[in-house]
Amino acid sequence: MLNRKIGLLCTSVAGVVLLSACGQSGDSEAASEATSDAGTTVLANGMTVAEQIKLRHDALEAIGDALKGAGDQLKSGSPDMAVIQAAAASVVEKSTGMEDWFPEGTGPDSGVETDALAVIWEDKPDFLTKVSDMQGAAAKFSEAAQGGDAAAIGGAMKELGGTCKACHDKYRKDDD
Amino acid sequence: MATNPEHHVVWDWTVRLVHWLMVILVLLLWWTAEEGMMDWHKRCGLTMLGLVIFRIIWGFSGSWTARFVPMFRRLGSLGGYVRDLKNGSHKPVFGHGPLGILSVFALLGALSVQVGTGLFSVDVDGLESGPLAIWVSFSTGRDIADIHELNFDILSTLISLHVVAILVYQFILKDNLIPPMVTGKRPRSDFAASSLPSIKAGFWAFVLSAGIAAGCVYSVLNAV
Repeated sequence: MLNRKIGLLCTSVAGVVLLSACGQSGDSEAASEATSDAGTTVLANGMTVAEQIKLRHDALEAIGDALKGAGDQLKSGSPDMAVIQAAAASVVEKSTGMEDWFPEGTGPDSGVETDALAVIWEDKPDFLTKVSDMQGAAAKFSEAAQGGDAAAIGGAMKELGGTCKACHDKYRKDDD
Repeated sequence: MATNPEHHVVWDWTVRLVHWLMVILVLLLWWTAEEGMMDWHKRCGLTMLGLVIFRIIWGFSGSWTARFVPMFRRLGSLGGYVRDLKNGSHKPVFGHGPLGILSVFALLGALSVQVGTGLFSVDVDGLESGPLAIWVSFSTGRDIADIHELNFDILSTLISLHVVAILVYQFILKDNLIPPMVTGKRPRSDFAASSLPSIKAGFWAFVLSAGIAAGCVYSVLNAV
């Protein structure tokens, strides 16, 4: 009886895993096919397209990491201000130069896997405004972190998150 | 409840209540996710977590038609059941039919994956996150969130299948499954068997099962 139960459980788990693999295989196949010859074009800043995309992806992920780290502290009953201050400083540092991360030719047509949408280059001034909004909010967040008041930090972080979202909603591929 | 001899109780009240609460919550969870109302999404998700845990425990502590072990045993009749469906000689089954049993396991499995991944999911802005996401990194949380989204497609496919199946039973096989899931009762004459198990939610079994489920939700809430 138990064996049968475990067997069924395994089968269903395997089924779910398999299904999820199916769902994603399309994307990664297309991406690996594309990266084999695409992305080697050298940009004006000396980086290849692939390098530029990887650089901004890693930096944005590091920002996400830092924000989550700060958020986790705020969620816990006794936030560690030193951790939050370090995270906030890291957000400021990692977002420096963001306005230069999206040169022409690093969009979805480059053949390199990216969630950046082509509309970025259709409305670059608006995109850049949103980038500088984010950088401004990051500076305020870091300032609040230095102040050490959890409520103020939470508020500044919400503001900052809003600037992330504003840009993501419009310019990032929605995988939801 | 079973005082009327012409009707027999098929589903105990907790099975029915949990079923319809899950229907409402799935819709609410979907809507709150679409609208980005994450506070409500989390509240509903935790409620769903409690219901799923309760239903799984109830699969061992509940009335006969709610229990998993008898369901497993009856899966053996799947072949004959499907043959009868094809021959047009379908007869109502007391409790879940073999296909319904598969549906129960699939739906509960998908719901478990959904609430489980929701606990650890992290959104792309690193701001919103599930109640246990503090234990995973940003990128792991993002991966879990991807599974959360993907599994929703699996879940909604299973739900659609379930609804279509109910309609097929209702209109093509003339097996009226909806009223019993509301009232719990079915005409005794629907079943050929001379004796049917008595279906009743045990009071202490319910208190204990609900207590454990509530305890789990409480510890998730207070984990961080």
